[in-house]
Amino acid sequence: MSIITVATTKGGAGKTTLVRLILARLAAMSGLKVAAIDADFNHTLTDWVTTAAKHPITIRHELDETKIVPLASELHNSHDVVVIDTAGAASQATIFAIGCADLVLVPISPSSADIVEGIKTINLIKSASMMLKREVVARVVLTAVQPGTNIAEHIENEVAKAKLSVLKTRLHRLVAFQEMSFTGIAPTSGPAGHQVSNFLDDLAALGGLPESMKIAS
Amino acid sequence: MAKKDLANVTADLSALASSMPTQRPAVVPVTAEPPVLKVVAVPPTAKGETITQFSFGLRQELRKQLSRLAADADMTMRAFVLNALKEKGLSVRDDDLADLRKERR
Repeated sequence: MSIITVATTKGGAGKTTLVRLILARLAAMSGLKVAAIDADFNHTLTDWVTTAAKHPITIRHELDETKIVPLASELHNSHDVVVIDTAGAASQATIFAIGCADLVLVPISPSSADIVEGIKTINLIKSASMMLKREVVARVVLTAVQPGTNIAEHIENEVAKAKLSVLKTRLHRLVAFQEMSFTGIAPTSGPAGHQVSNFLDDLAALGGLPESMKIAS
Repeated sequence: MAKKDLANVTADLSALASSMPTQRPAVVPVTAEPPVLKVVAVPPTAKGETITQFSFGLRQELRKQLSRLAADADMTMRAFVLNALKEKGLSVRDDDLADLRKERR
């Protein structure tokens, strides 16, 4: 019974990839009820769930900001985990999706625009926290990382300089993550599988996953 | 993890959200009568202002969505995009939003 929102005001940073990883891995665990809200115009996640996903996932495509909170509440009451995928732009729907969340993930891939928009999104989450009078836990997730390159080092330095809280696990630019958009199966072996396991462990440690999943992941 | 009470989220965040653009498509009232075309007077461009062409590529699906949203809002795609950018702070005047196609008819 947790809600994870994946948000950044920049498109193409890896939001839907993160959502797919969480959904595919958790849905494959028996006995877990997993749901997602696709609040993106492009309905990429909805298409993936309906055409590629291999395990039952409740998916709802909703752009109307007035319906995000009631829908999240409804799904939260009937599922173990709800993941909200947002559009790659600041919008009212994104604000309300942030407000519903136990944990907000802000993906940053290796580009300056990703860092700029990632910082803006973190500031938006801080504003939401102030208005809600509670902390909305948020972490940057570094995606499409190419270890050992100058750009990877530069991104690490930039997020450190901006004092962004970054999830321990880095997700590398791996073919297995790209293949998942076609196969619907989250990698469970090799470097990609190892990274996904570590990623879910990080989420569990932050309280983003129900207690029962901490060991299983 | 206990069930959360999300009842106050909308109210608490409404002020912050109101500064953001909506994702809801514009609602066009359905009428039995065909819409009346309005002739919009386009003020002449101020002297010295150069008009320049601007174009960009985008995915076909986005192009279709843009076309549909603009049609729903009874705007040209050019006006629809400029109107959206106006909310982001671009200095767009009313005459920038005029439907130039109607002028040519």
